[in-house]
Amino acid sequence: MNSLMIKALGFAVLLIVATIFVVMKLNIDIFADSVNALTMGGAIAIAVITSAVSVKYINQMKTDTASGQLSDDNWDGIGEYENELPSGWAYTFLAVFMWSMWYGFFGYPINAYSQIGEYNEAVLAYNAKFEETHKNADAATLKEMGESIFLVQCQQCHGATGDGLSGRAQDFTTHRSKAEVLSIINNGQNALAAFPGGMPAGMASGADAEAIAAYVAAGFKGDQPATFATCASCHGANGEGTPMVGPSINGYDIHNTLAKGKKGKIGKMPAFNTLITPVQEKALTAYVQSLAN
Amino acid sequence: MQSNAALEYDYSLAKKFTFLTILFGFLGMLVGTIIAAQMAFPELNYLLGEYGTFSRLRPIHTNTVVFGFTVSGIFATWFYLGQRVLKVSIAESKFLMVLGNIQFWLYFVGALAATVSLLLGYSTSKEYAQYEWPFDIVVVLIWVLWGVSIMGLIGIRREKALYISVWYYLACFLGVAMLYLFNNMEIPTYFVSGGLGDPLHSVSMYAGTNDALVQWWYGHNAVAFGFTVPIVGMIYYFLPKESGQAIYSYKLSLLSFWGLMFVYLWAGSHHLLWSTVPDWMQTMGSAFSVVLILPSWGSAINMLLTMKGEWNQLTDNPLIKFMVLASTFYMLSTIEGPIQAVKSVNAIAHFTDWIPGHVHDGVLGWVVFMIMAAIFHMVPRMFKREIYSKKLMEAQFWLQTTAVVLYFTSMWIAGITQGMMWRAVDEYGNLMYSFIDTVTVLHPYYAIRALSGVLYLTGFIMFAYNIIKTMTSGRELTEEPQFRTPMA
Amino acid sequence: MFHWLEKNPFFFASAISIVISFAGLIEILPNFAKAGRPLVDMTPRTVLQLAGKNVYMKDNCMACHSQMIRPFKSETDRYGKYSLSGEYAYDRPFLWGSKRTGPDLHRIGNYRTTDWHEEHMKDPAKIVPGSIMPAYTHQFTNIADIETAYAEAVTVKNVFHTPYGPGIKSGKAAWEAYKPTVLAEAKKIAADMKDERVKSAMAEGKVPEVVALIAYLNSLK
Ligand code: HEC
Ligand code: HEC
Ligand code: HEC
Ligand code: HEM
Ligand code: HEM
Ligand SMILES: [Ca+2]
Ligand SMILES: [Ca+2]
Ligand SMILES: [Cu+2]
Repeated sequence: MNSLMIKALGFAVLLIVATIFVVMKLNIDIFADSVNALTMGGAIAIAVITSAVSVKYINQMKTDTASGQLSDDNWDGIGEYENELPSGWAYTFLAVFMWSMWYGFFGYPINAYSQIGEYNEAVLAYNAKFEETHKNADAATLKEMGESIFLVQCQQCHGATGDGLSGRAQDFTTHRSKAEVLSIINNGQNALAAFPGGMPAGMASGADAEAIAAYVAAGFKGDQPATFATCASCHGANGEGTPMVGPSINGYDIHNTLAKGKKGKIGKMPAFNTLITPVQEKALTAYVQSLAN
Repeated sequence: MQSNAALEYDYSLAKKFTFLTILFGFLGMLVGTIIAAQMAFPELNYLLGEYGTFSRLRPIHTNTVVFGFTVSGIFATWFYLGQRVLKVSIAESKFLMVLGNIQFWLYFVGALAATVSLLLGYSTSKEYAQYEWPFDIVVVLIWVLWGVSIMGLIGIRREKALYISVWYYLACFLGVAMLYLFNNMEIPTYFVSGGLGDPLHSVSMYAGTNDALVQWWYGHNAVAFGFTVPIVGMIYYFLPKESGQAIYSYKLSLLSFWGLMFVYLWAGSHHLLWSTVPDWMQTMGSAFSVVLILPSWGSAINMLLTMKGEWNQLTDNPLIKFMVLASTFYMLSTIEGPIQAVKSVNAIAHFTDWIPGHVHDGVLGWVVFMIMAAIFHMVPRMFKREIYSKKLMEAQFWLQTTAVVLYFTSMWIAGITQGMMWRAVDEYGNLMYSFIDTVTVLHPYYAIRALSGVLYLTGFIMFAYNIIKTMTSGRELTEEPQFRTPMA
Repeated sequence: MFHWLEKNPFFFASAISIVISFAGLIEILPNFAKAGRPLVDMTPRTVLQLAGKNVYMKDNCMACHSQMIRPFKSETDRYGKYSLSGEYAYDRPFLWGSKRTGPDLHRIGNYRTTDWHEEHMKDPAKIVPGSIMPAYTHQFTNIADIETAYAEAVTVKNVFHTPYGPGIKSGKAAWEAYKPTVLAEAKKIAADMKDERVKSAMAEGKVPEVVALIAYLNSLK
């Protein structure tokens, strides 16, 4: 091999190695995903074939001399040889062309490939397996899983740390404040789309309301005030929520918010019913509830 | 060897379009450099109010380099080499001269007006076909004028057989005419609604998936008949002419040409892989793209073999360097494209920076290099002067080569990285990266690309300077050089 | 044979034309009717949404955003269900885009809201740190061209039989009669917004571009 060829292939290798290095540093597995593997293979083919073939011909400028039968034609001083086709090129052309004909008329129709069909089979199976595998995941796993889902789907509004981006969305890093709970008790609320009727105002008042609000704001820690029973009728004995009646108030009601959305004082939270699976919801619940504690 | 001393060619049109090539090349690449910088440093979006945002400027860049720079280059070289290989002076026909001048002024004024319209936000949104309907009409007029002019010149030719370059220019004319017309079918809303709203606004004749099919049948082949076919036509003239070598093989020219004509048109659906276009069309697009490597490489190989044994020309004539490197970049982009058209690879490559990477190793390394080489060859002959500075040309060559390499390597890494990040899943099978992670990680590559833009643009300014100096103060030549262009 | 062709420009040009034409005929035409069919129960965009689409085209958002969710798990997890041909049946032009400098927007209406868009269009980097999307502050002061959007609705109704109701008719009088419907829809969007410039323009019966744009983005589901 001459030096030009070595330089060209060296450049190709350098480019490939740099690409692989950058990708690996991002924790991406190039070989587990066949699409990644094929892409890397394609990239290698581009770099290596181009370098090798172009340098092969450029080398001929050094080593070979022009020869052949000149044709009679001549345009503005430009002549033309009647040389045969370069055989490597000609055979490759023939082979690729035959492959494309075979593929178009036989290979492809016989396989009857459908991209949507493939998606439906593969992804539905995958999702079923995912739900099955993590059905009984422990709290720590769920929390970890929840964090990464949160970062992909929720941080645009709630911020990477869940702080609500200075009041643009719910801040999950603290419990609802006592004042906020008190205001809900006094004024009622109709923000969660899952509960079209909303919560009536004045379910408690005076010192009772104060005590309940303090208890809720503390994240249900300490002794439960007896008057919480009023709330429990809708929100469950420990504020865990009752389907169709009242949302969870022991922490944030992830389930109903994700299912139908919420339009409250801060703004509007879209429903996420198309993007979040049941296990993912459990994971998000574990993660979001952990933020304030 | 025949001498053409008897014939005085008329270069007035070629000169006019050469000026435009340089002007639009500079403007288009200036805007390219600006938008490249904006992707690395978004604060640069706010220099010109709403007219300076990346999104408004991007079509200005693409249209100025495609319809401004490249098309001017095609016209300039046609009005130069068309006469020479057909052995007829365009001035022999008053009619053709008048036509050519109308074409020039309509084109110049039309291009400026169309650019302003894009800046104001008039856009039909189809890539490389953004102009609103009145400008489409101007484009069609210009094209028809050019067509008549080509046919006219061929009609009065002295050279019976058409030279290879003419095949390619003819194909460029016919292909673009057909594609542009069909893709730009649009209905002005003002007239149908009884005079309501903006008279410039229109709706596309096709909707949804159909519109996408027509658009990329056009878009892909606009590349084919704008960035490939006429540029191949150029190299088939300028490389043998500059080097004095005969074309390596007529058969190879022939097979490459007809192969390209046949295969190119089928490949458009590789822009729509994994979309809602039927599977069989996607497969055709993919398969024909792979076949396309060969007719494309055929021309490039024919050019490289034409230079067989001419190593000394390669090392001491920068003009030959430009053309040989252009051939290899042509080879690079015509194998990269087909590989990106493989469905699995496209699953990663599509939508990422790897595509602009592919685009620019084609346009910067091939199209611009070839057009600049053509101008370097033509200007000394049209103005009868020696090239102002060979040193400057050498420096420009290395500067711009570095710039292209930086451009495509940075975008190659950026694209593959981003494509793989979008797919990446964590240990549980959930998406690993939020979208914004995949944006911020690209910052260094965007910065490198912006730098490459600055370098390339600097090279282009050196080119423009060298050419203008050649026109005004290059040493005068007493007779036209047969082959190698003289340079100081 | 070929030498002969090269000496006869007319036949040469004809040969090229034939060779380059039939790919288009074979690949594009057969699918035309089928791909043009809308999904059942799909309604065309309202005039306000069309005006928003025109803002999207004017500011050329598809320079960075696609509207095509490919059938990969990684895309459907991020953006929602893969796109279907019928969903685009009323889109003239199609706005799939070819570059994703920003995320896909084909179903953005499902997971973003008016108030979020308002803040994001004003200053993307403030909402999403590290964003390289430009701020589109001029959309808060520029007035959307709802009349042209109406003209567009009339055009597609008359020419392509897009099912707009009887209210959409050509002529100035019909437009004047229809205009309040558009303003009412815009008011609903603006009610969720905070910007003072938007509020005062709306009070004068004008629709700022951002309001139309958000109506359009919300309709992408
Ligand atoms: C009649 C049933 C009912 C009773 C009793 C009730 N709530 Fe509620 N509560 C609801 C409903 C329904 C909602 C959801 C309202 C909405 O749509 O935003 C709600 C919402 C809330 C919220 C806001 C949750 C969120 O995610 O936004 C808090 C906090 C709350 N209630 C606290 C209390 C307390 C404390 C009490 C007792 C004093 C109480 N509720 C009594 C029905 C009730
Ligand atoms: C488009 C912006 C946006 C996105 C994306 C978003 N949220 Fe929200 N979210 C909000 C806003 C705004 C509120 C506050 C609504 C109010 O109370 O005014 C909120 C409130 C909430 C609440 C509080 C409900 C309550 O009980 O008070 C929960 C829980 C929540 N979001 C969870 C999530 C999760 C989990 C995700 C991701 C899967 C998410 N959000 C994504 C905007 C968003
Ligand atoms: C320079 C490229 C660029 C341009 C031009 C651009 N965007 Fe963006 N866009 C981004 C990036 C990057 C993001 C992701 C970061 C973020 O959310 O800001 C984004 C995000 C978005 C999002 C949020 C999507 C999501 O899933 O979170 C919306 C909506 C949006 N852009 C709308 C628009 C509209 C409308 C326009 C045109 C008026 C536009 N963009 C122009 C780059 C761009
Ligand atoms: C064998 C020849 C070629 C093939 C098969 C090919 C294939 C492709 C493919 C698959 C894409 C990407 C589509 C996507 O996923 O978005 C693409 C994009 C592109 N290519 Fe090529 N390519 C070829 C040669 C070239 C050459 C020589 C040039 C220019 C000189 C070029 C310019 C472009 C441009 C401008 C785009 C971008 C289109 C867009 O706006 O999305 N291509 N090409
Ligand atoms: C100084 C040199 C140049 C620079 C810095 C530059 C930069 C850019 C940038 C930043 C983009 C947008 C990419 C994106 O959206 O991600 C772009 C797009 C494009 N440029 Fe250039 N450019 C240059 C020269 C050229 C030339 C000379 C041509 C053609 C002859 C060209 C043709 C294109 C095309 C066709 C696109 C659209 C690609 C697509 O849509 O995929 N550019 N360029
Ligand atoms: Ca147009
Ligand atoms: Ca593009
Ligand atoms: Cu293409």
